[in-house]
Amino acid sequence: MRAIVCLKQVIDPLTPATSLVLDAQGKKIRVGASSPPVINGFDEQGLEAALRLREALGGLEIICLAAGDRFNNDVMRRALALGADQLVLVQDPSLDTWNSYPIASTLAAAIRQLGGTDLVICGRQGSDWDNGLVPYILAEQLAMPILTLAKRVTVTDGRRVEIERVLADGSVIMDAPLPAVVTVTSELGALRLPTVAARLTAARKQPRQLALADLGVAAAAASAPEVIDLAIPVTGRSCTFIEASAGPGAGARLAETLLQAGVVRLGGEH
Amino acid sequence: MSGILVFAEVDARELRPEFWELVTVARNMSATIGGGIAVAIIGADLESATREAACAGADALHVIEDDRLAAPWPEAHAAALIQLCGELAPQLILVPRTILGAEAAARLAVRGGWPLVQDAMQLEVTPEGGLLAVRPVSGGAVAATVRANAGPWVVVPRPRAFAPAQSGETAETAPVRHVFAPPPFATSCGTRTRIEVEGISVDRAKVVVSGGGGLGGPEPFALLREVADLLGGAVGASRVAVDSGWVQQAQQVGLTGKTIAPDLYIAVGISGAIQHLVGCSSSQVIVAVNSDPAAPIFRIANYGVIGDWKEVMTAFRDTLAARSHQAGRAA
Repeated sequence: MRAIVCLKQVIDPLTPATSLVLDAQGKKIRVGASSPPVINGFDEQGLEAALRLREALGGLEIICLAAGDRFNNDVMRRALALGADQLVLVQDPSLDTWNSYPIASTLAAAIRQLGGTDLVICGRQGSDWDNGLVPYILAEQLAMPILTLAKRVTVTDGRRVEIERVLADGSVIMDAPLPAVVTVTSELGALRLPTVAARLTAARKQPRQLALADLGVAAAAASAPEVIDLAIPVTGRSCTFIEASAGPGAGARLAETLLQAGVVRLGGEH
Repeated sequence: MSGILVFAEVDARELRPEFWELVTVARNMSATIGGGIAVAIIGADLESATREAACAGADALHVIEDDRLAAPWPEAHAAALIQLCGELAPQLILVPRTILGAEAAARLAVRGGWPLVQDAMQLEVTPEGGLLAVRPVSGGAVAATVRANAGPWVVVPRPRAFAPAQSGETAETAPVRHVFAPPPFATSCGTRTRIEVEGISVDRAKVVVSGGGGLGGPEPFALLREVADLLGGAVGASRVAVDSGWVQQAQQVGLTGKTIAPDLYIAVGISGAIQHLVGCSSSQVIVAVNSDPAAPIFRIANYGVIGDWKEVMTAFRDTLAARSHQAGRAA
């Protein structure tokens, strides 16, 4: 049985928002070279789901697949150190895009090129553009059912995938026949740490590169919005600073200000 | 192709409150998008929700009521929405940013090959007939203006970005019933489990007092708890505080935690990484207390205090407690 885990390389979300730089021309968000990218956090949890499945099933081929521009190989190879059998990268400048369709179509074409899969696992959304659309496009293009927001993923009798889907106030059990697309969410838990031995073995493994031109990606007929402007700050809020000579004075004044503005109400007025 | 269709989500027989924010968006947009406003109400056991939605002043109310829509089953609800869009051919479809709504929107957009705008904070139709929207990206650190040319457009408005519309006094829109005729389902939906949360959970509280790495340890959260109790709120935390083991994961606000939109969010010792901002930037009022004047959290705050969190929050608690005591005696 095979699982393909889709990974996206993104700006580290622990980067302070103040260090983002906007490329107005290219409509891109950049950070300085001092802030290396990371694997999208939700996608890392997708890899964790695959590793747990491998343990439960007593064997599972795990291929990590990413489509993007300018990969940081040290960052992406973490997937190998954690036990992925292969890391497959499709690298092309056109894949640095807000539009989910070229990325999803590339991933779908690569999955076909790799000979298909029983399970596609994705994070629920990218932490950069937050469109959350790639898994749905993948499911549509691969003609697979999709189950989303899993905090637990199991394969029953080798033919169906069952998930526990997170809801606002609980969860629900869902299932679908394989092959299927599954997205995971943060409640699944963090990705484990690689062992030193695995790290050393992985250091000898190389990612496999697939050329976009060889994949025969069909241009999507779907229409997606285009980004025409990027700006900071987002909120248009302006911060009123509470001034006082010392902390206690500022705290008291903050309370008075919030009470006066009606922002804070006390005891049972809600 | 004309008109606006508002997806009215029903959860456990109740119309979800986000509906009224979508009605505001629909009314704003109906000036430039002709064809009126229709409401799609989808679920099982819809009597009271239908009555409520009929007070929204819409031009039409379309109902798909079916037992298969009792559970929060995304494929089924999306199928009902796709069916109505096929029958009504709206130009703009508005869907709430809930767990079920966001998925129904994505499934609808992908199925139709239609442009989707998630998390829209501003919306307008351009003179050329395109759709212009502003939405946060990178956790709200950046605002992106996006343009979609041809419709239909699927739009998921940002929670709290639009004020809820007032409900009318009377149920003036007569419901039109549609028979649910979905294609065969590829997924199935089983039993639902509800989790009883002790006290107020961060995603339901009207006030959330959150602590971050600046607090330096678990003990200071007791002070935040006292403040939260005075305000009838919940205690939240940043990822740093959770990863350090100071508080439970369920309290985490942010990309890998919860996305919340309380009336008041107080961020104490939280610098404001993208990771955190994504979870709290929809709050109505944000108060930031931080010793670093350059902390990014101040960029999205309405009120800021630069100073030592311990001094500030202790005095804040004492002042609130004194006022609360006074109010209690006066009552």
